[in-house]
This record gives sequence, structure tokens and C-alpha cells, in this order.
Amino acid sequence: MAGVLSSIEACVPALRRYAHALLRSPQDADDLVHDTLIRALDKLHTKRSDAEVRPWLFAIMHNVFVTQLRRAKARAAKEPLNVINETVQEEQEQNLRWRDLMRSFNCLSEEQRAVILLVSVEDLSYAEAARVLDIPIGTVMSRLARGREQLRQMMQDGAKARPCLRRVK
Amino acid sequence: MTEPGRHITEEDLHAYVDGRLDTERRAAVDRYLHDHPDVSESVTAFSAEREGLRAAFAERATNPLPPSLDFARLVETRLTRRQAPWRMAAAVALALGLGGASGWALGARLPSGIDALAQEAGASHAVYSLDKRRPVELGAAQRDDLTRWLSNRLNRPVAPPDLSAAGYRLLGGRLVAAAHGAAALFVYENAGGTRLTIYVRPMKIVETTPIEQVDIGDLDGCAWVERGVGYTVIAAEPYKRLLELSKHVRQQALAPI
Repeated sequence: MAGVLSSIEACVPALRRYAHALLRSPQDADDLVHDTLIRALDKLHTKRSDAEVRPWLFAIMHNVFVTQLRRAKARAAKEPLNVINETVQEEQEQNLRWRDLMRSFNCLSEEQRAVILLVSVEDLSYAEAARVLDIPIGTVMSRLARGREQLRQMMQDGAKARPCLRRVK
Repeated sequence: MTEPGRHITEEDLHAYVDGRLDTERRAAVDRYLHDHPDVSESVTAFSAEREGLRAAFAERATNPLPPSLDFARLVETRLTRRQAPWRMAAAVALALGLGGASGWALGARLPSGIDALAQEAGASHAVYSLDKRRPVELGAAQRDDLTRWLSNRLNRPVAPPDLSAAGYRLLGGRLVAAAHGAAALFVYENAGGTRLTIYVRPMKIVETTPIEQVDIGDLDGCAWVERGVGYTVIAAEPYKRLLELSKHVRQQALAPI
């Protein structure tokens, strides 16, 4: 039990990294991490003892994230949608070195970002990423390929201060 | 993936970038890239993206943790307060030989306390708040009758709080059947037609707990216990707004009617 808990705690920075990359607002991202940890602790008894902690946590975070999106949609049906401030995160990008890359990355669809993050940044295997996102491994590969290619083209065209059109979900 | 003579696929190229090929296959991709400079250029770009993202996100992960993510505190509130009763319930169920058929003693948490309260509140919200014509048994015009009736049935003073300052008008209330007996449901509506319900019932254990966020299917809810009486507030509203509304409700429930 103590072992699992310390493994979970060790994953907090990775969960934050992933949440901050998926969501616009740092506040929302930390809320997502918080809700994920709460859910993980509540579900601790359902975790198979041989299951890896990291993919397990990412899968929980993905589920929490999807549930929140669904709730936001349920609310949006009744209320005008809040306009999302696209620039918050970019302005907070302290290091100019990564600014263009991050700006381009943020232009990718949320689905592509999720796959690239899990595979490229969090070092999950393709099979683990597929389980986390609950999609076939072929879909992981195609999102990865398309996302990386789009990123390459954006970087090649020069990540000028071009407005990034993104669907608001 | 190890067949050396196999064509190089796009998948191979990405696995190459991610360092997930065995040496043999890796060598094959190396040869392929040598013969295809245009593809090699893309692969170099993919690797640069990968390294750039890793570096950029590595910096972010070092931001100081907000207090809400204090893990030791989360463990304390979550595992000591909520998990323990479940474990006890599961142990009792096993001892009694229950649960084998449904399997819940092996995995899923037995709903009890706040979870059971929230579940019932969610069911009542779903059934009654959606009823356009007759969501309540007694309307707001008969507020006094409603209060007297529900207080009698719940065996304690229960009254619909006034949420008009928050834009919610009382439609009325009804008696609801719960596993442990009678419960009360108050239904409100705002100018936009959004309905809010407050579900109230006595809890088995007399205690007072802080307001917490609960899962109600597609909606958020707030639930708490005030001196042995459980409350759940549900509406299609953002959680922060629900929390504000719940604080209003809690305050009014504290004041004697």
C-alpha cells in the first residue's frame, strides 16, 4: 500500500506536465490533476497489483478529462459558452527557445497532443498509450504520424505569429 | 517488427524516432534513410520535435506544487475518511458470505454515506427535474404546507431555502422514497429554465462534513452532512457556481426556521 502511494506521488509531476499540456488554463490543469489523484485514491482497491502505476494514472486522468468535457458540453447546451483565452498559456511560456514549438504544438488537435505527449514526453509504449486513451494501437500510430507531420510543417513554415484556429470543445 | 527484409513503414519511422526498434530493424531503417534523404529530413525533424517537447515540458514540471496537490493531505482525507468504512463494509459482507453473486465485495465500492446520498439525489434530479409539467407535488404557493408535511415525514425540521438572490425561484417540493426511508426534494428554476434540485434526507451517522464535489453522471453536484442530515445540490452549472449556491443553502439550513 505504502509502495503504491509513493509510486503515485512520484507521478505527480508527470501528471501535471500532461494536464498542463492538454488544457489551456494552468488552474484547470491543476484541478484536473487534483481530481485525478482523488479518483486514483478512491479506486486504489480496484488496481491490479501487477498493473503499472503510471499508465494506470494516465488512464484515470484521461477518463476524468473526458467526463469533464462531457459535463462542459451538457452545461454549454444550457448556457452561452465561455470564450477561452488562447493566449494565457503562451504568455506564460517563459522560455522563448520553446515558444514557436509550443505554439505550433498547441495548434494540434487535443487528440494528437495527447498521443504525442504520452509517447514522446512520458515515454509510454504505443500499446500503453492505446490503453490509456482507450483507442486501437493503429489509431495511436496514425495520430502520432499525422500530429508529428503537422508539427513539422508548421515549424518549417516558420511559426510566425499566425493565429491558431482551434476547435473549442 | 523484426523481419529484416520487410518494407520500411511509417510506423517504423516513428518507432525509430522513439527508440523503440530492435537493433536489427534500426539498422534497416538507417539504411533506408541513407537512401532516402527526403524521408531522412522528416525523421530528423520529428526527432527535433520530440527533444524540444521533452525539454520544454521538463521545465514546466518543476513549477512549485499548489497546496491543492499536497499528496500527503490528499491521502489523509481520502483514505482515512472514505476508504476505511468501505473496507469495513466489504469485510463484513465477506464474513456474511454476501457479495459473491454481484461481485461488489471484490471490487466496486459499496455506496454508503455521501456516495449513497449523491446517488439517490442524482436519480431524483434526473427523474423529477426533467418533468416539465409536474416536477413537484406541492408548489411554492403552498410553501407552508410543504414545509410542515416534509418535516413530519422526515421527522425533523426541513424547509426549502430561499435562493432568489442567486436567481433561482422555488417551484416546490416532493417526498421521495430512499433505501432508508423518506427523503425530500426541492426543485428550483432560474430565468434561463435551468433547474436545480436540493435533496435532503437523514443520514445514519450523526456528523457534519465539509461540502464536497460528487459525481452525478453528466453533472456536478455538491454534497455535505449537517448534524446528521445529508444535502445534495445538483444543477447544470459549473462546479464553482454550485459551490456558492450550496454555501447559501448550508447557511440557511443552519438558521432555525
